[in-house]
Amino acid sequence: MAPLLEVKDLKVEFSTRYGNVTALDGVSFELNAGETLGVVGESGCGKSITALAVMGLIPMPPGRIAGGSIKFKGEELIGAPESRLRQLRGAEIGMIFQEPMTSLNPVFRVGDQIAEAILLHQGGSKAEARARAVELLKTVGIPEPDRRARAYPHELSGGMRQRVMIAMAMSCRPQVLIADEPTTALDVTVQAQIFDLMREIQQEFGVAIIMITHDMGAISEMADRVAVMYAGKMIEEGSADAILDSPGHPYTSGLIGCIPILDQAIALSDRPPPLAEIPGVVPPLHLLGAGCAFAERCSQVHDACTVSPVLIGAPHAVACHAYAAGKS
Amino acid sequence: MDQITPLLDVKNLSVRFQMPGGGLFGPKRFLHAVRDVSFSVARGRTLGLVGESGSGKTTTAMSAIRLAPSYQGEVHFNGNDLLQLDPEAMRQERRNLQVIFQDPYSSLNPRDRVGAIVREPLDLLGIGTVEERGARVSELFGLVGLRPDQMSLFPHQFSGGQRQRISIARAMSTNPSLIVCDEPVSALDVAIQAQILNLLRKLQDELGLSYLFISHDLGVVQFICDDIAVMYLGQVVEYASRKEIFGSPKHPYTQALLDSAPSLARRKSSGYKRQAAVSGDPPSPVNIPPGCAFAGRCPKSQARCDTDRPVLTADAGRSVACHFPN
Repeated sequence: MAPLLEVKDLKVEFSTRYGNVTALDGVSFELNAGETLGVVGESGCGKSITALAVMGLIPMPPGRIAGGSIKFKGEELIGAPESRLRQLRGAEIGMIFQEPMTSLNPVFRVGDQIAEAILLHQGGSKAEARARAVELLKTVGIPEPDRRARAYPHELSGGMRQRVMIAMAMSCRPQVLIADEPTTALDVTVQAQIFDLMREIQQEFGVAIIMITHDMGAISEMADRVAVMYAGKMIEEGSADAILDSPGHPYTSGLIGCIPILDQAIALSDRPPPLAEIPGVVPPLHLLGAGCAFAERCSQVHDACTVSPVLIGAPHAVACHAYAAGKS
Repeated sequence: MDQITPLLDVKNLSVRFQMPGGGLFGPKRFLHAVRDVSFSVARGRTLGLVGESGSGKTTTAMSAIRLAPSYQGEVHFNGNDLLQLDPEAMRQERRNLQVIFQDPYSSLNPRDRVGAIVREPLDLLGIGTVEERGARVSELFGLVGLRPDQMSLFPHQFSGGQRQRISIARAMSTNPSLIVCDEPVSALDVAIQAQILNLLRKLQDELGLSYLFISHDLGVVQFICDDIAVMYLGQVVEYASRKEIFGSPKHPYTQALLDSAPSLARRKSSGYKRQAAVSGDPPSPVNIPPGCAFAGRCPKSQARCDTDRPVLTADAGRSVACHFPN
């Protein structure tokens, strides 16, 4: 079966005062119906740019898609007319943003904002769209949906607003849902509610989810497959179990090791051991050389790392010379 | 938990803010941010204040060290009640009490060189001669893992993690015995968090510092705290050692927090289902419910919880405020 979404060798450049900077360099992935792909990495690694590129929302200029292809159900989206992209956005590919307060319009009632998306993509009467909006609010677990539909965003809590965002994203039954750090602004108990809701929605509607996050815990709870990004490149990809239990790239294992994640054994020890550290910081994109971008922070760096490694292997792909040498 | 003469001993601290409205002669309305909170920080140890946003963790810590006004209570530190000290005595006491703030971008003056930022507490409190202060600042830079030649740079020339190191150096400058850490790593990238947490622990081991550590992240708390006070809507609902909180949580809210925190042990692939997910949001601190503040979201709530407010009661060295603890 052909994948729902197929991204190949995607390259995005931005012109900055340091010259042309490659924000995404040869990113490839596939998304099948009904699965969740987790995209993980530190800030600046290109996670959000990947999502924006799929939605056709890269600001141009200064951005530019320098190469590659994005196919949705076999249809090429790069170079597609804006009118076609507008049909797809919202209707076929929905998006949930990080900050629910700034992504809702503060001067319109939330029910009307959901109804607007329905009217735009599916037509029908205003009354029908409003009724559907109330129904959606109920689906995402908002109590008293009739009353809440008439509320303004500021009258709702952060968790409620994110539920409204999900209702809006789901309003036209999209086949792909892109969630860009959907719970970063929320408290943990509310985050858990949103995660549970997203899993329920996926089961009920079979939507495929791209979940962008920096949180390995969120990956563990939500993702079937994981793509790890570093400095604009995809450096590891595989099933969530493979990535979390036997990471191949030193960066991935560093990322897992350095997170103070909840663990019964650590909590109950007399003195928790020091956390693993990844030394240094992500290099600025305009200073990237030809070699592996992670080389200067890597504990396993050697001569071969002056050449950029390629992502190889299936189903667990790793872009690392040391890993490849260990395998062969 | 009970240590002889704790370094910081907070008793029945309350903070309230007057709300606008109600009219000139109408009843005053108050937002009860902190309600009757007691805890203590032992020498050389770390107390974690844990809770969700709006639970009053930061207000509790800031009012305890008089960076925010308090309404009632006592805060014993070095044999004094901080809330009763006159302004000059309080100012002198500040050399023993320092703060590391959450956001390393807004807590450093962008127009000052970082050397001057770290030296400022020494200047203000008149500690040592000019040469001694300069030497202390370069010593501090070494201590937190920065190079002394970076002293003449400005904050914008540093990354987030380096800025937080500068904040730590500034807090350490007066050789304090207590540092209030207000979410010191939550604004940092995941890979940088570990560097800062390890640094805080190393400094504690070497210098015997005490931390009052505010965090919403149970993973961070588990790594750095010895004792933990879980706060909900301005009250401490459970207060126990790290092992007790994580090993056998008694309050349903603590249980819910632990069940909500992401963990690598919960896999989608193995069909993970959350046990004790709580619904809804916390009530408003303006209209505090008469009973238990958590009752509306609690899976174990009964009729009594809606009318009868549970008090924090000690049992075998730990305390919990719940009618039906686990």
